Amino acid sequence: MSQATKLPKPGLLTTLKEFPGNVWSSIFRHSLPNSDLGRSQTSFTNFFLHIHPVKVNRNTLKPWYTLGLGLMSFFLFVILTVSGILLMFYYVPATTQAYDRMLDLRGSVAFGTFLRNMHRWGAHFMVAIVFLHMCRVFFTGSYKKPREFNWVVGVMLFLLTLFSSFTGYLLPWDQLAFWAITVGTAIAGYAPVVGQDMRFLLLGDYTVGQEALLRFYVLHIAVLPLLVTVLVSIHFWRIRKDGGLSRPADADAPPQPEIPKKENLAEWPRELEPVAVTASAAPAVNGVPALAVAAKTVAPVLPIEKKHYGIQGLVRGPFTKVGNVPENSVFSWPNLFMAELFVLVLTIAGVLVVSLLFNAPLEEPVNVLHPPNPAKAPWYFLGLQEQVSYSAFWGGVGVPGLEVLILLLAPYLDRSNKGVGKWFAKERLLPNTLFLIFVIVNIVLIIIGTFFRGPNWEFVSPW
Amino acid sequence: MAVGKPAKHAVEELTEGQQNRRRMLAWLSSVGLFGSAIISAISNLVFIKPRATYGAPNRFGIGKPDDFPSGTRIALGEHRVCIVREGDKLCAISTTCTHLGCIIAPSETGFACPCHGSRFDQDGNVTGGPAPKPLPWYALSLAPNGELEVDKGTEVGAGTYLKV
Ligand code: FES
Repeated sequence: MSQATKLPKPGLLTTLKEFPGNVWSSIFRHSLPNSDLGRSQTSFTNFFLHIHPVKVNRNTLKPWYTLGLGLMSFFLFVILTVSGILLMFYYVPATTQAYDRMLDLRGSVAFGTFLRNMHRWGAHFMVAIVFLHMCRVFFTGSYKKPREFNWVVGVMLFLLTLFSSFTGYLLPWDQLAFWAITVGTAIAGYAPVVGQDMRFLLLGDYTVGQEALLRFYVLHIAVLPLLVTVLVSIHFWRIRKDGGLSRPADADAPPQPEIPKKENLAEWPRELEPVAVTASAAPAVNGVPALAVAAKTVAPVLPIEKKHYGIQGLVRGPFTKVGNVPENSVFSWPNLFMAELFVLVLTIAGVLVVSLLFNAPLEEPVNVLHPPNPAKAPWYFLGLQEQVSYSAFWGGVGVPGLEVLILLLAPYLDRSNKGVGKWFAKERLLPNTLFLIFVIVNIVLIIIGTFFRGPNWEFVSPW
Repeated sequence: MAVGKPAKHAVEELTEGQQNRRRMLAWLSSVGLFGSAIISAISNLVFIKPRATYGAPNRFGIGKPDDFPSGTRIALGEHRVCIVREGDKLCAISTTCTHLGCIIAPSETGFACPCHGSRFDQDGNVTGGPAPKPLPWYALSLAPNGELEVDKGTEVGAGTYLKV
């Protein structure tokens, strides 16, 4: 306080008058940008925006390329986290209370049914969307070098999504839940060597009961969300480090092969300017010393047309980097952020509409003596259940295990780097066909399990 | 600068033996660190593996032999066993499906599972469906107080009866 003697002490009135503005500007270092320089600085100084690069390739923004599926999965995860935390205020993981709490949610809690609907349908959506996202990545060949490991992280995230749904399924403690978990953990028990131990660890007992309920609850609300959060962070970070979303090899090429020379700087498209400005006006950028310093140090070393990405130019790797010709990239603000906002609104709207129209099912309370006939698992496991009804080991462990293994190894087995960044590229006919067969077989199994199986798992026709 | 230089000298003047010792120490400490990390990871598994379970007890009395007249096949739902009596022979057959653990019900031909349609004959042998194993038989004994006692912890071969 007393050290700042040189500056005139602002009066109380001024302090009060400037208070809101000061608080605001201490949080947001930049006002809404109206120049390209401002756009990059806004992205650079904001934690949430900084996850994004300042500029993205045009290909990234093509709606039909990504369909926004990855982002949708993430937003669904956020919706599930929020609605899940709210539900935790009313839930008790005890066999004697869980079901009653479900009834309470329905009867005496404001928005109780609605939140439960959101949580349940959000989970169903998430399983579907994460799967579709995986299909998108495969069909566009996006798992290829240098994105192999991110594909592996993605496959793990898919498995975690399934496991999160599965653990959540037991919590209402209704008939559906109880028998789905009985069947599900029995399938786990068929795994070689560790199967029975794994089942025992999951259930904390030899049968589904109080211990199992508590364990599934802890996995569902703490362990799995934490793992998902960590993996999602890695997943996103790797996207940045791998140079943004995948795109065709020619997406980075300039429309005109010639790189403009220094003299023609004035004729460059407007988008280019800010970076040149960043370099020359470095001392003026007070808020961003790092950027300023980087620009300063880079300036003498690199020729001027290579200065567009400041600090990133110092790092080697497959990044969006200095040599990247900017004609094909646009500023994240507003192009990318608008697209993301659109996906967010779409996702929320979808979940809200479905939650308003359809109520999440709640069956009879658990009756340990009488399984419903047939006892069906949630739809995304019905393909598995259908397989299991032929052979418990092969259907439940052998085939799914192999499928997961092949998925994990896919980028290391298929190493040609052709056809990246295009849907169903001609060069990728074989891998795409194989993957398509995998997808179709699983969908058909799910459809059979859902609609064509009746009491005693006998074949029935739904019409 | 003044501090930096002698330190650099020291590194250069390390004898072969000193370098080996450093490498050895580095190696030992990494083994120690990773070792304890692995041990603590495993101890998590030990922690979450319950030492005692409080579910249904494995041994339980089911009443006097006279409660089961000859020819009965009674499924005791809560215990998940079926008591069969023929003449003076008694046995207890599990009613947990060996496929995926649903509860099966006695039927005319033996047992039937509602979940994936497994069928078992009177003795618990698989006659249809995906069940991979026959139904286990549990040890049955006569307790001192004259009650029948089932021990689900002990499996006995099919065809092992208790004579009363
Ligand atoms: S659990 Fe009995 S047939 Fe599957």
